[in-house]
Amino acid sequence: MAATEAESLHNGGQAAAAPNPFNFQTQVISTAPVKSQNVGQRRGHRYKHSSVSAQHQIFQEPPPRPPPVLPASLPTPTLKEAWRSLQRDQRMRLYWGLCHVAIAMYIFYRSGGSLAAMALSHLVFFDAGSAAVCVVVDVLGNFEVWRRSSIRHPFGLERAEILAGFAMSIFLLFGGFDLLSHNLKHILESVGDHEAGHEHGDHGHDDERVALGLVSAAAIASTLVSAYGLRNHARIAKVMRVSYLATLPSILSNPFHFFTLFFSALISLLPLLSISLYAWLDRLICAVISLAMFSLGMRVAVAQGLMLLMSYGGNRGDVGVTAVLREIESESGIARVDGAQFWQVHYGLCMANLKLIITNGYDELALVKLRNRISALIQNRLGEGYGNGGNVRWEVTMETTIDAGI
Amino acid sequence: MEASYPMPSALPHTHTHRVHTQSQPASLSAWRMTVSSETLPSQLEDDEDRGRQHDHHDGQGHDHDHDHDHDHDHDHGHHYDHGHSHSHSNSHSHSRSQPRHHHDHDHSHNHVHSHDHAHSHSHSHSHSHSHSHSPHGHDHDHGHNHGHGHSHSHEASHGHSSERSLFTRTILPYTVGWPILYSILAEKDSRRIFYFMSLNFGFMIIQAFYGYVTDSLGLLSDSIHMFFDCVALLVGLLAAVLSKWPKSQRFPYGFGKVETLSGFANGILLMLLSVEIAFEAFERLWEGTQTKRLGELFVVSTLGLIVNLVGMMAFGHHHHGHDHGHSHGHSHGEKHDHGCGSHSGHDHNHNHGHGHGHGHDHDNENMRGIYLHILADTLGSVSVIVSTVLTSFWGWAGWDPLASCFIATLIFLSAQPLVFSSARRLLLTVPEGVEYNLRNILAGIGQQRGVVSYSTPKFWMDDYGSDRLLGIVHVTVARGAALEDTKDRVREYLLKEGIDAVIQVERDGDNGCWCARGRAMTNPPQTSKQF
Repeated sequence: MAATEAESLHNGGQAAAAPNPFNFQTQVISTAPVKSQNVGQRRGHRYKHSSVSAQHQIFQEPPPRPPPVLPASLPTPTLKEAWRSLQRDQRMRLYWGLCHVAIAMYIFYRSGGSLAAMALSHLVFFDAGSAAVCVVVDVLGNFEVWRRSSIRHPFGLERAEILAGFAMSIFLLFGGFDLLSHNLKHILESVGDHEAGHEHGDHGHDDERVALGLVSAAAIASTLVSAYGLRNHARIAKVMRVSYLATLPSILSNPFHFFTLFFSALISLLPLLSISLYAWLDRLICAVISLAMFSLGMRVAVAQGLMLLMSYGGNRGDVGVTAVLREIESESGIARVDGAQFWQVHYGLCMANLKLIITNGYDELALVKLRNRISALIQNRLGEGYGNGGNVRWEVTMETTIDAGI
Repeated sequence: MEASYPMPSALPHTHTHRVHTQSQPASLSAWRMTVSSETLPSQLEDDEDRGRQHDHHDGQGHDHDHDHDHDHDHDHGHHYDHGHSHSHSNSHSHSRSQPRHHHDHDHSHNHVHSHDHAHSHSHSHSHSHSHSHSPHGHDHDHGHNHGHGHSHSHEASHGHSSERSLFTRTILPYTVGWPILYSILAEKDSRRIFYFMSLNFGFMIIQAFYGYVTDSLGLLSDSIHMFFDCVALLVGLLAAVLSKWPKSQRFPYGFGKVETLSGFANGILLMLLSVEIAFEAFERLWEGTQTKRLGELFVVSTLGLIVNLVGMMAFGHHHHGHDHGHSHGHSHGEKHDHGCGSHSGHDHNHNHGHGHGHGHDHDNENMRGIYLHILADTLGSVSVIVSTVLTSFWGWAGWDPLASCFIATLIFLSAQPLVFSSARRLLLTVPEGVEYNLRNILAGIGQQRGVVSYSTPKFWMDDYGSDRLLGIVHVTVARGAALEDTKDRVREYLLKEGIDAVIQVERDGDNGCWCARGRAMTNPPQTSKQF
């Protein structure tokens, strides 16, 4: 029944419809070459600029339209293009990123007996991962698709960095859990049967001593190089703002660098201790590292998750927004704020979309001034100060409606 | 209408009995009094209360111009027909009894699934009728302009949530005291996650207890693993609950993305897990460690398999594509110009344009992620079982690492599409089909009266509507046109196209806004030729 109904609808539509623009009859296409004498009777496809079309006006020009403001989508670079676009220093950074990953692998494999060293290797893996993200972000910055907005990607691809950061934070969480479970298993094993536990800790203490020294030295060196060379973790740390570390000097104020450097220094001291103390301290450091990874991962995940959920968690977050909104409301000429959306797009960009109701009798010039004033207000209050380096840009959009009620 | 739509008489005309009753002028004026919302000289208008746009043309005859814009949001059992047979009996039954809420449409959808879905159904009809009444008898000239935009989006709650299980029904009253628990149990997705998590958790505790009593390392480490599963499930549960939270100042666009985020996290987690499994497998293969205590391992993994199979059954049902994304776009008739009432004669111009967009699946990434996680666990258990059996027969230590590697690859590959699809949504990428429409819509902004140009259009998908877009646009208004009016025009136009935008209007020549910078940047390369 439904089908007949639908059909009747169609038929009805077609009966009254304008002549069908498409020709559904099958046509025989001759394989013979088109002869020049029968230009007027050519079959098949007609080209817009051919003389036939020009004479008969078969093709109608589309209505004139202004060129689109935005490209529909910009080409995403392939690996080859990305490689070709590399500048000299970018290439150096890329090589270093690979080196960092290699060092992390090295630490992982040399950590053998020591749980703490293994935990450290997880931390270094994370460092290497975000160093790689830094490099990739740097390289992609060469391309238009990264920054410029298109219809496809309204904010460019810059949000991908947040996404990568979020993935890295999952790695931190996962690593923390993984280490904890390893640690637990080890403890269970050593409690369960004593022989197995001892077997593990005893073999070749001298060998291990050298290895641990090497491991921690490699970790410290790679962290420092990445921190200065790639500005690793710089943007994430800015979003997170760990207050209790903020007083420390430059690099150490960044929690990621702080943890790596601190723990590798600690591990380098481990071989100096006696065996029994070593075994326990090893586990303790592993547990502490895993807890640190876990808490850090949690904070990173929340900070980036907020951005991904289209919220603003930055400078004093919600409180700051409320204060700014109150200030906007107190501006003369504004009857009320009808709707306000403050959110962070990515590390460098925030958006404020406001719907304001303006009191009647506000002229245009004053409106422009008001708009500039509010933009400046938002930028000053919520954007980071210019002193801190890369500041956050606020893009303010205001929809003003003249109050009709009064 | 009658001329153009030959309808079988058997059609369910619900309003037929009211047809052609407006030839009595007395009742007509009475009706007009009841409507009385707008004081229109001599117009009948069927005013759907929720309709946002009214287009009143002054006409001597009866000149209707309906513009309905319904936005239903049902959450109860429906009988909908996705075969789309709309029989519009446009027979002017301006129901005197209840002038509001009256459509002359008869959408008889007979798709047989009469299930319960969160239905967001948005019609937008616009009819224009013109009647000319003669003293006796009447003849109607109808000009129709239907524009249907149906977008059904059935998500998740397919059929079952109305009929909660006996268990749920019995415990639901007891949970009223704990609002959190109640809200978990009231929703289908979160309820499922919760039940499975409880099962997992209970099993974990039993396992840990027995492991402790019997001093079995296998059981203990497996219960650690189960604990992680529980945590992952807890995150999923949190996401499912959070996603129901309303918008706030802190989260101006609501929590619609929470589930996508959780799905993404789950996908990444699975990828990391698979990498770790592969790593460990290689390590084991390298060192040639023998798997010990085969019998115990076998029992443990079989038990794990059973639990996970239960989970697969619970979640798998969801996974098999119960997420329809229909979007039909019918558009009968071009715009008729009813400038004044002199329009008569049948001037039908039908134009069917069906656009079925089944492409973009709006399914729940959270559930997908959890399902994949359980799937991975199940595969893990299976691999352990198989490898222990093989090892006990042949005694080669390599079976276990080999199986692990295989499983790791499988997990990685299955997590990949989830990660990509959720990443795309989190990046605010506009899907292909929508992007195509959006381009046309944007070009239409420039055609509105008073608009010189527009800049920085940024639009992204709304998580709540199926195909709706949110965004901003800055519009430059010509000198001489009123800012306010132009803004209203653009706003109305965009709303009609399903876009809720914040529109900033600027006077031509005013380059104070930040968008002027973008304009300066984008303008030079606009020298591209058309052909």
